Amino acid sequence: MHSYIRPNQFVAIQLPSDQTRLIQLVPNSLVQLGKYGSFAANQIIGRPFYYTFEIQDTADSDGYKLRVVSATELHAETLIEEAEADGEGDDQETGAGVPMRTNRQIVDDASTQTLTLQEIEELKKEAGGAGKEIVAKLLESHTALDQKTAFSLAKYTLRKRKKYIKRFTVLPLDVSTLANYMLAQRDAGRTMELRDEHIGLLGCLGNVHHSGESTVDALPAVKQNGRYLVVDETGGLVVAAMAERMGILYPHDEEDQEDEEVDDQSATTNVNKGDGEAQNTYPIPPRRRPRPMSADGNTITVVHAYSQPNLSLLKYFGYDTNQPDEKHPLHTHLKSITWLQLLDPTSDPILANQPSVMPAEELAAAKASKRTAYYFKRNRYERVKQVTKETREGGFDGLVVATLLEPPSIMKNLVPLLSGSAPISIYSPTIESLVVLVDLYSTARRTAFINRKRELEAQKNSDEDTIDMSSLFDEFELDPTQILPPTLHRTRVRAWQVLPGRTHPLMTGRGGAEGYLFHAIRVIPTAQNIQAAGTFRKKRKLEATSTPASDRDVEMTS
Amino acid sequence: MPSPFLTPGVNAGADTLALLHLRRDQIMPTILRTYDDQNEGYSEGKVSNTRFGSFPHSTMIGQPWGSQIAASKVDTGSRGRKATKRKADDLDESTPGADEETAASFKQPVTASSGFLHMTYPTPESWTLSLPHRTQVVYTPDYSYILHRLRARPGCTVIEAGAGSGSFTHASVRAVFNGYPGGEPATKKQRLGKVCSFEFHEQRALRVREEITDHGLDGLVEVTHRDVYEDGFLLGDPKTGRSPQASAIFLDLPAPWLALKHLVRNPESGESPLDPNSTVYLCTFSPCLEQAERTIRTMRKLSWLNISMVEVQHNRIDVKRERVGLDAEGVRGATVFPRTVDEAVNKLRTDEQRAKRFRLAHMDGEEQFAAAKDDEKEKAAAAAAAQGPPVPVYNMGRLTHRSEPELRTHTSYLVFAILPRDWTEEDEQRCRQKWLSDIAELPEGQSGKSNKQMKREFKALRIKEEQEKKAQAKQDAGVEPAANPETKEL
Repeated sequence: MHSYIRPNQFVAIQLPSDQTRLIQLVPNSLVQLGKYGSFAANQIIGRPFYYTFEIQDTADSDGYKLRVVSATELHAETLIEEAEADGEGDDQETGAGVPMRTNRQIVDDASTQTLTLQEIEELKKEAGGAGKEIVAKLLESHTALDQKTAFSLAKYTLRKRKKYIKRFTVLPLDVSTLANYMLAQRDAGRTMELRDEHIGLLGCLGNVHHSGESTVDALPAVKQNGRYLVVDETGGLVVAAMAERMGILYPHDEEDQEDEEVDDQSATTNVNKGDGEAQNTYPIPPRRRPRPMSADGNTITVVHAYSQPNLSLLKYFGYDTNQPDEKHPLHTHLKSITWLQLLDPTSDPILANQPSVMPAEELAAAKASKRTAYYFKRNRYERVKQVTKETREGGFDGLVVATLLEPPSIMKNLVPLLSGSAPISIYSPTIESLVVLVDLYSTARRTAFINRKRELEAQKNSDEDTIDMSSLFDEFELDPTQILPPTLHRTRVRAWQVLPGRTHPLMTGRGGAEGYLFHAIRVIPTAQNIQAAGTFRKKRKLEATSTPASDRDVEMTS
Repeated sequence: MPSPFLTPGVNAGADTLALLHLRRDQIMPTILRTYDDQNEGYSEGKVSNTRFGSFPHSTMIGQPWGSQIAASKVDTGSRGRKATKRKADDLDESTPGADEETAASFKQPVTASSGFLHMTYPTPESWTLSLPHRTQVVYTPDYSYILHRLRARPGCTVIEAGAGSGSFTHASVRAVFNGYPGGEPATKKQRLGKVCSFEFHEQRALRVREEITDHGLDGLVEVTHRDVYEDGFLLGDPKTGRSPQASAIFLDLPAPWLALKHLVRNPESGESPLDPNSTVYLCTFSPCLEQAERTIRTMRKLSWLNISMVEVQHNRIDVKRERVGLDAEGVRGATVFPRTVDEAVNKLRTDEQRAKRFRLAHMDGEEQFAAAKDDEKEKAAAAAAAQGPPVPVYNMGRLTHRSEPELRTHTSYLVFAILPRDWTEEDEQRCRQKWLSDIAELPEGQSGKSNKQMKREFKALRIKEEQEKKAQAKQDAGVEPAANPETKEL
């Protein structure tokens, strides 16, 4: 997947200040990291991820300027501390030995640092060692360093190092990295303040997974699998997260093995004994231009409110919705449909105006530009028609929502499109809208709905009579018998600092939206009237009180 | 056989796991059978009994997933005698084949007058709620976060040590699934996702293996009975076995630090269980802080990077309508108490007046008293009628939410770490030849300045222009008002 850094790929570069930058690595270009310096993109392309590089002051003979910082070096300080703690562990516990340092003597002003601002500026220009010298100098010139406790010294060193040391780490740009980047460094509201834990839970509750499409043909009588409905107002983050779970987000997923094989044939044949069969050379299939949105299974169908979906964040994964890359799996597996096309296809401008079919001779005679326009319109019409048809037919395997639209309006229109047992998972940054939604499926409401429906059905005289159910849906916005059991979740991750003798939860964190998830399963109520059994509640004197009949429990399954 | 967890299809087939949803958090797993596999002797064949009635499997097989199933009238009384009789009769021919033969002779179930359930296909989430507990279970909020952080995606191989009750096993196999093994290799050469599960406890390992087979996950999950502290993570023989080539590892062990020595790139003996071409993501799951600290120390020594520890705090939220008011008498769940100060004052006032009237009426005699009472009732009814049609119960009161009554306040500390690929000097040299290090041009339209710098310079330029313009305008007599707001802003 992310086995090495590819050219023209977006990567996340983590700086000592804990800031992250998203950078597209164009070969032969220079990457600027502000005060931390710059480096040539070629010097990290092809290398593995998660290595920390130090920008050196002088280049090697071949112009290479980066040095890999080993893990031991990164952990050096903690390792030494741990070793020391092991050695003198007994002393500390008994309280004997050196008296404990406290912060009693510490003066709370800047006078303890003897280096002036000018001097530091000078140092920045002259000093080498990728900033390590500056940090050392700063520590040296601190007059009260010996008064500091181990804790404050560690903090001081860390602060200075963050400021001056010229290091960076290259991380693969995946959904998790992007979500954290958007949350911490961009407008978090744009992605509805989605966090890692929400993304994980949203996908799991939605049962979003790869459908195993390659082997599906071998299974008899299996319907098209893995079709998911998504409503996404996070700029494409939710779509990306679901695509990641379904294995259709990264264009190079399957090439990793191949590349390795080319690189060192002998090594891989030894290592990959396990999938020996897969190593056989295979005939390259004739290249066909895949039609957009043409996949049958393992697909995401995005329902959007404007004429174009906003999926701009997908560009970080190599998929630009305006100029889609035909080789990208999302090209065929990501479908989009507007609410108008879904609910009222006849008034959609594309579907309503079918471009007339031009005879072949006429087409051949037409100007090139006209021909292009003709094909564009024809293809677009066919595509929209096809997507609209299959979406309206329903049978989806899950519904994943993160939107500004009112949840009940989504449920009303999309739940009927789900197949039985398909899960529904909705994310909302705030709880209010979801509380209202849960209430629309409350037991009391469901009971009242069933009773009302029976009353209406009882009015029916003969089998031919059709019952007018509109009054039922005037009273009840949603059919509460369509889903079970509506549940609200809240989840939050708390991060800890783990250092020898200094373990505690992080002191500060990001506030803002808490984030809530709604989860339910689509069920198919039977047509027959079933009384619930097995209620073990005490019988109440119903006649004595004015409790309306609708309050009695008919259904007890939630 | 396709797994109902991964490709359930439309209808519930025979011999697949189905979950019988009784009510919230009451889910009963059962394998649908056309024959009476446990020889319980019901005349309807295999039957699942619940507190909401009896459900012969013949009423469920072939129904679409998610269907509401009505209970059937099943004679549970007389079967005891029958069963023993049957057992004695069928002792010599109790093979499934013989049972299937009898399947046709099973009685057609009769729908009962009440009772139902919903039949759903299993998901790792519902399975986690319904599975038989053998050990502490890794619940959905934890495993969803762990799998996301472990980058367990279709095609990955996951090592899981401490299979336990199997909840993480099911969740991780869903995450890595991208096709059943054994079929034709897909057009593209692609690795199939797999879970390698290790369990120290022999019986539990056996149970997990049975479950995997029952759930149609054979080939996707490989269960090994192994003490991983001692014998590591190779498949098959501990010394000479195959490497699982895992890129994601989850350790739910009492002492994860003892297992870490086997999870290195170049072990002293044997193969590394890690995928040589990929970053390896690791998560350990320990309830105690001491365990986590010790694990982290070992991780640091073994060069794991980006070590971080978190705990997941999750709770479910109950939504309820809360009804408070003096007029709420007789409404279930409502509190009869004044809703506002005004209501309280009114109540005090009317109570006082009523008491006074009753006192007077009482002095006037019984008849008057009864009349006064009736009058009172009429008044109340009139007041109710004046308020218009009654609000239905489901819409009464205020919508409130609160945490579920019992919380899991701590599950475990999750320690995450990363081990990058090995990168040798030769690799580096080859890379340097392919991507010449000293070629570095600025991309077009970018100077060596940061965005901030450029913005600042641009602003300065604009101010300068603006000032020049102003000077010009002044010369021409008359100040341009449009320029004002912008200068103010600066």
